[in-house]
Amino acid sequence: MSALTLYQIVALILLSAGLFGLCQRRSLVGMLISVELMLNGAGLSIVAAAQLTEFDAVLGQLGTLFVMGLAAAEATLVLAIIVVIARRFGSARTSEITTLKD
Amino acid sequence: MEVMAKVAFGVYTLFILCGAIAAVSANSLVRALVGLITTLVGVAGMYLMLASPFMAFMQLLIYVGAVSVLIFFAIMLTPAQSESEDNRPASMKKYVYSLAGAAAPAGVLGWVVLTAKVDSTAVPVEVGIEALGHGLLGSYLLPFEIISAVLMVAMSGAVLLAWEKRGKK
Repeated sequence: MSALTLYQIVALILLSAGLFGLCQRRSLVGMLISVELMLNGAGLSIVAAAQLTEFDAVLGQLGTLFVMGLAAAEATLVLAIIVVIARRFGSARTSEITTLKD
Repeated sequence: MEVMAKVAFGVYTLFILCGAIAAVSANSLVRALVGLITTLVGVAGMYLMLASPFMAFMQLLIYVGAVSVLIFFAIMLTPAQSESEDNRPASMKKYVYSLAGAAAPAGVLGWVVLTAKVDSTAVPVEVGIEALGHGLLGSYLLPFEIISAVLMVAMSGAVLLAWEKRGKK
C-alpha cells in the first residue's frame, strides 16, 4: 500500500466521522465540531495528494490554506448564528428550534 | 517509509482516530471540543510528515489557536442546558441511519482510493516558504485577496448579527 493511499484513508476516516457526527448530533455546536472534522479531512487529503504526486505542490498547500481561511470565516458566522438562536429560542438544540413542525 | 516514519504515522493516526471518536460521541460538548483539538494536533503532525512545516504551523495557529476558541465561545454562550446534550440517549433509528449515511460515501470513496492506481512518490516534495509566498502574491493573488474579503465580511456580519442594542432589553 503506497503512502498516498494511507494518508487518503486517514482523510476518509475524518470525513466519515464528520458525516456521522453531523447526522447524529442534537445541538448546533456539536454539528459545528463535526463540520470542522470534515474540513480537516479535506485539507489533509489535498496536501497529501499534492505532496506525494507530480502535481504542483505549491497549489496544494495554498488550497489548504484557503480551506483554513474559509473554515475560520464559517466558524465566526456560525458562532454569531448560534448566539442569535440561543437568545431567541433559549437553547441551541436542533429539536427545539424547528418551528415548521408545530 | 522508514521505521521511524511508520511509528510517527501510527502515533498521529491514533491521535486522529481517538480524537475523532471523542469529538462525535462524547456527551459533553466540552469533551467533544477536546477530542476535536486532539484531532487537529494529529493532522498538524501529518502535515509535518508530509514535509510541509508551514502548513503544520498554520494548522496549529488557525485551528488550534483561533477556531477552537471560537467553538469554545459558542459552547459557553449558549445556555447551560445545552452545554451537555439531552440526557436520554439518541434513538436507535437515528443512530443506525447516521451510521448508514456515513458508511455509504465512505464505502464508495474507500473503494476508489483502494483500487485507483496513481503514480505517487514515497518521499514528499519539498516546497520552500519562498515558493509559497511567490504563489500567494503572484499567480494566486486573486484568491488571496478574495479570502481576505470573505473573512472581513464574515467578521463584520458576525458582529452585526450578535449586536445587541444597549437598553433594549
